[in-house]
Amino acid sequence: MDMSNHPLLSSMDEPPPFPPSHPHLRRLDRSVVCQICKEPFQAPVSIGCGHSFCSSCIRSSLDVMKKCPSCNEPALEGQIRRNRALEEITDSWEESRPIIYELAQPPPTKKRRASIQESNSKPSSSSGTKRLKPNSSREGSGSRSQSPIKSRRSDDGDHNSLNGNGEMEDEEDDEVQELTENDEAPCPICQATLPISSIPLHIEKGCPPPKTKTNGNGVGGRKGNQKADWKKVFSGQGLGGKSKDKEVEMKRITKPNYSLATPADLRSILSEYSLPTTGDKPTLIARVQEWIILFNSNLDTSHRSSLSALRAKLSDSENSKKRDKEKGKDEMVNQLGSKDGLQKYAKEKKGEFERLRKEIIERDRKRREQEEGKGRGRDNAIEVE
Amino acid sequence: MSGLPKRILKETERLMADSPPGISAAPKDDNLRHFDVTVAGPESSPYEGGVFKLELFLPEEYPMNPPKVRFLTKIYHPNIDKLGRICLDILKDKWSPALQIRTVLLSIQALLGAPNPDDPLANDVAQNWKENQSAAIAQAREWTRQYAQ
Repeated sequence: MDMSNHPLLSSMDEPPPFPPSHPHLRRLDRSVVCQICKEPFQAPVSIGCGHSFCSSCIRSSLDVMKKCPSCNEPALEGQIRRNRALEEITDSWEESRPIIYELAQPPPTKKRRASIQESNSKPSSSSGTKRLKPNSSREGSGSRSQSPIKSRRSDDGDHNSLNGNGEMEDEEDDEVQELTENDEAPCPICQATLPISSIPLHIEKGCPPPKTKTNGNGVGGRKGNQKADWKKVFSGQGLGGKSKDKEVEMKRITKPNYSLATPADLRSILSEYSLPTTGDKPTLIARVQEWIILFNSNLDTSHRSSLSALRAKLSDSENSKKRDKEKGKDEMVNQLGSKDGLQKYAKEKKGEFERLRKEIIERDRKRREQEEGKGRGRDNAIEVE
Repeated sequence: MSGLPKRILKETERLMADSPPGISAAPKDDNLRHFDVTVAGPESSPYEGGVFKLELFLPEEYPMNPPKVRFLTKIYHPNIDKLGRICLDILKDKWSPALQIRTVLLSIQALLGAPNPDDPLANDVAQNWKENQSAAIAQAREWTRQYAQ
């Protein structure tokens, strides 16, 4: 039952929750989380009932059911409004969270410091945080592009000025200062060496191998022509792509009526945004739907992704869905394709085969006994099926 | 690895770290969308003392579509049929992506504590429940003893 070592679960990167001694901070932490993806809001929007979600989350949800996921009130896509205040709150909370998290920690065990912090950390939960918060969020909004390392430094700085102490922290500070964004460091999770500035994103993506940049083209894509098609999309982005991006109108896409739209209609939408137009109608519909969600929700945020980034996302999600579906089957087919694979499979499943064989023998024996005893062949015939 | 949404990983981790009382859920090794679940019968219900096995599957569209849940242990309950299928609104039309595995399992546990014979799935059980409640409860208790202990 212990799954803590599972390779898929170990890739998790969860910021630690606030201790239960700070219920108000826990509440604040929860309040910037989308109820659909359970992550901090990205491109938050509100709907008619006043509940807010990530734009792409609520758009996907409304594609399936026309009601609010939180209160079940009827809701329509037309009600979606960008919530700029919530975006600002989420962003600044995300930036100040590490600072406040550190302030909310119980005092360290070191005796001398413990006594100093003891007196400091109690007010820090109430007045202390309040004093610091406007300060840090001002800093935060001015330095959105700062690397986490830098903002941690400013965090330590604040800490020092508040506590007025701290040899240890000074030491830490020095160490941190020596590193710059361009230095490389091992990822704390998978140990792959990466530029420091790219580590948070790398972890966010679940620790892909460092060659992530080629991933967009390389992943999955079993059907040759579709894969080639995506490749074309990406290779075009260097030269022709950029000028094309400018042609694309940054206006919400109106959804087509999927039951009436012909494959040609769908293809024309896709080609308008330089997307692959291969596949049957269900594939095209799925691609258009996903693209509209990505594209429209990208308009609901001030941190917009480029069109090529959106295309990469679309390709990734298409590939991963396909992989999910074909995964089991394909692995099996590949394995069984070679003679070695077949033998290996037989070896691995030896116990299972043996069990099945015994079961069948046992069943046949029972059946024979029954037949001899009662001679009711018909029931048994059904049982065989 | 990118196939499994972060939300599912997160839910799984929390479920295993801190599962609600009387409920356990763990994904299978080979398929992280497929969970083995056990639910303890609620106190002062005919299912008290029983531990019921269920399977839960998160479809590709989860959380936009509800998880699929089924009892594997035989149970005498008006809203659960002999194939283990469950009649519960949040598993069907009342599903919302704001719900999660935890809330679904808690609802199923609550359903054991409050059978609803007016919205039956197992007709014979529901009829028995309405016509002769004490006999039905005795039967449920007997099945719990027989199959869930």
